[in-house]
Amino acid sequence: MEWVRNFLRYRAANTFLVFIGLVMFFSLLTPNYLFVDRRNLAALGKLFPDLGVVALGVGVLMICGEFDLSVSSVLPFCSYVFVRLLYRGFAPFWAFWAALGVGALLGLLNGLITVKTKMPSFITTLGTMMFWRGVLYIWSKMMPAGIRNLVPSGSLFERTFAGTVGSFFPVQALWFALFAVILGILLHYHRFGNWIYATGDNRDAARAMGINTDLVKTACFMIVGVLCGFSACMQAVRIGSFAATQGIGFELRAIAACVVGGTSLRGGVGSMPGIVLGALTIPILDNGLILLRVPVFGISAFIGIATILFVVLNSYVERKTR
Amino acid sequence: MERQNGEPLVRMVNIHKWFGRVYALRGVDFEVYRGETVGLIGDNGAGKSTLIKILSGYHQADQGEIYFEGQKVRISSPRDARKLGIETVYQEQALAPNLSIARNIFMGREPVRRWGIIDRKVMNEESMKALANLGLRLRSPDLPVVTLSGGERQGVAIARALHFKAKLVILDEPTVALSVKEVEEVLEFVRQLQREGISVIFITHNLYHAYDIAERFVVMARGKKMADVKKKDTSPEELSQLVIKSAFAE
Repeated sequence: MEWVRNFLRYRAANTFLVFIGLVMFFSLLTPNYLFVDRRNLAALGKLFPDLGVVALGVGVLMICGEFDLSVSSVLPFCSYVFVRLLYRGFAPFWAFWAALGVGALLGLLNGLITVKTKMPSFITTLGTMMFWRGVLYIWSKMMPAGIRNLVPSGSLFERTFAGTVGSFFPVQALWFALFAVILGILLHYHRFGNWIYATGDNRDAARAMGINTDLVKTACFMIVGVLCGFSACMQAVRIGSFAATQGIGFELRAIAACVVGGTSLRGGVGSMPGIVLGALTIPILDNGLILLRVPVFGISAFIGIATILFVVLNSYVERKTR
Repeated sequence: MERQNGEPLVRMVNIHKWFGRVYALRGVDFEVYRGETVGLIGDNGAGKSTLIKILSGYHQADQGEIYFEGQKVRISSPRDARKLGIETVYQEQALAPNLSIARNIFMGREPVRRWGIIDRKVMNEESMKALANLGLRLRSPDLPVVTLSGGERQGVAIARALHFKAKLVILDEPTVALSVKEVEEVLEFVRQLQREGISVIFITHNLYHAYDIAERFVVMARGKKMADVKKKDTSPEELSQLVIKSAFAE
């Protein structure tokens, strides 16, 4: 039974169990087993990485002890940069890299403002969230901007970000998996990961041990920014348009996903497997409840309850296993 | 231990430090010889912590000089101090509670293979070795530090200093908030450092903890050095009188 205890001591374990439970619940109880229907799974795999990719970065940032509320503005901002550059005649490839660059830049700005002013990032990124949203609304006049003719469906670029592998498997899920693996290696096997944990767990200790905690935090903000840029392009290509409402609500849903995955709000605690499970659980909850004919506008209530239950469960299990 | 050839390992000369309008250090001279253990004592706010934080690179002096092994040095970051061989075990515990023992010992100096990937095997083995050197046997290097007792945590922090071949270990209030048994444990760790010939600065306001292990005492009060006495020339009673008197003297 040693391995059972080891497994349970693992922080993401209860998320995993609940995740399995949810999947089974929805599989059996949705009408006509719609949840496990091929088309539903394909749609799910196509849609969840929009938030999932962002949540991966937000989780890493939370482990180093910071938040980023500005993702819901940085994402559509990057999307608009991408679309404008396409309109200017740039190749999608270059517009894509430019969007990532803008994401990195906005992340850098979040990081610098936070570490230089020594203000909580909850406040600084609340400020940048409102600021960039305002700028975006003026710049774009909130008009959607279609890109179907610039990124035609079936083109290599379109297939890279919105295609399917083997005529069924959505490529977005593969991108999500790729980022999860890269960030997982960074977090758990690379020395920089140890600096991220140390910074979030005890900043003074990390500084005393010669870790440049300001640099670590700023780098994590930039990771989030780049992932916002990526998610922005991926989403714009899928829906074939820029929309000013892209990413709305992502800031808190990403945090909820990370918390569900066992990430601490105080920093220093969390894991990539946990964050991945959290990023899967929230959309599955969404999707399953819709299939169960729960009114769409009420779903938020369930996610709210789930988030609270997970926090309570996590801290309970933590106390039991210590 | 006798002092060799009169050359101190560290010499701080005429150190001044202001924090805004607070004059925290008012021209302090302080030295530590090789293999010597110095008890740095004084009331809260006497300037002990400020002085050693300058030595460990956490603060910079506004005026004054530091010599290490006879060379004038500038210590402008914790990294600089560690390069010289000065390791500090802070009062607020320089450990990350949720990280494993091994990850704490190697924090900021992880052994890596290619592309910065941590060499876990080396890290775990070296951690257990460093702890065993202190006489500390812990179940596994993967345990989070939060599961350890207060004494064991100080042991982990001291093992870190030992592993990285420190020449001088600064212990900032290492016995605060520990049980009697744990204090004895920590003092035993310090004796191990002494046996390795490492210089130690032991900062405390409980001079009975320092009395057993220190060879010399420096008493500070209100930013000044008030006394500098060898153990053989004094007694605990006299020292505590010194601390109390100097706190009120003008």
